[in-house]
Amino acid sequence: MMNCAQYRRAILADPHDADPELRSHLDGCRDCAGFTERLLRFEGRLELAMRVNTPAARAEGLRRGWLAMAASVLILVAAGSLWLGAPNRSLAADVVAHMAGEPQAWARTDIAVPPADLAEVLSDAHMRLGSGAGMVSYASSCTFRGRLVPHLVVQTAMGPVTVMVLVHDSVSKQAPFDQEGYRGVIVPVPGHGSIAVLARGQDADLDAIKGIAARVQSAIVWTGS
Amino acid sequence: MKDHIGGNLKRARFQALCQTLRPDLLRFAFWLSRDMALAEDVVQETMLRAWKAQDSLLNEAAAKPWFLTIIRREYARSFERKRLATVDLDELIAREEPMLAAAQDQELAELRAALFKLPEEYREPLVLQVLMGYTTAEIAAELKLSNAAVLTRLFRGRKQLRALCGEDTSLDPEE
Repeated sequence: MMNCAQYRRAILADPHDADPELRSHLDGCRDCAGFTERLLRFEGRLELAMRVNTPAARAEGLRRGWLAMAASVLILVAAGSLWLGAPNRSLAADVVAHMAGEPQAWARTDIAVPPADLAEVLSDAHMRLGSGAGMVSYASSCTFRGRLVPHLVVQTAMGPVTVMVLVHDSVSKQAPFDQEGYRGVIVPVPGHGSIAVLARGQDADLDAIKGIAARVQSAIVWTGS
Repeated sequence: MKDHIGGNLKRARFQALCQTLRPDLLRFAFWLSRDMALAEDVVQETMLRAWKAQDSLLNEAAAKPWFLTIIRREYARSFERKRLATVDLDELIAREEPMLAAAQDQELAELRAALFKLPEEYREPLVLQVLMGYTTAEIAAELKLSNAAVLTRLFRGRKQLRALCGEDTSLDPEE
């Protein structure tokens, strides 16, 4: 049986460790639940602190003439980086960029958002969410591309998964992405734009994310304008 | 003509890859070196070397760790070249102040300054875990350490960082 010191030592090494033994201790220990909550808040700030703004790529300063080809690549990269900062960057890039602003949303928790609060957030997209979507632990009305959209976090077997309901952004087909430590998919929702579903980490299972996207999509009830 | 088209495609794919990964690579190099100018040099050299060695990248899904390994080597080389034997921490923090305070959030600026003070042996695994999303096993493979050693460094690093930030660590366990 794990004690508090063992539990805290483990989560100080990896606050997102999903080991069942840790989970079991957490469920039965209020002190460690409080400790974990404070640690996860700190962890969210830490990730935000590490995401410093990065300057655009520069092509000057190439010290070797033998890499003319590579130089042209760097110029393209510079142009690409400038493009990334422009308003017309890809939908996936905008979704990923939005994640950096709300790291606290990714906490693992058993506490669901109160139904009234969730309903208010979902009203931005004129929708309700059936229970099939899973437990929603975070719900926020976020400004995304100039409009308010629901930003949800659903607790799943693979950990917290973010769902953004993008009723104003349509895509023609399913578009997986893997950017800046986030892996996910944007799926079309005919007549209602799209939804983006994503998880953190390079080991996130894309097929599982697609499955969650399908589950969430089928749990949405559109309520009209 | 076919080769030309193939070359263009190859270049476009490599460009797209660099474009996608560059912000995180730069952040990693910055936290490794604590110097944005040096980080930019390191990432630039990394991309040049990566372009030359791109045939050794068999799976684009593994591109990020591949680039990170090159960055770590390039950083070590730059260290040797410039003989950065001593580091004046106050000077480093002062030099990077605009970067540390860019968020216009005092708490974030303090957290960034605390990260600067964290020894590299703790800072690097922490950045790999928190920023790059690496698992313990992936960090162990990159740093050539055992899983247990990585967990110890992460534990000590987080504990020191929280203490530096004035967090209540009275309930933290001893080793």
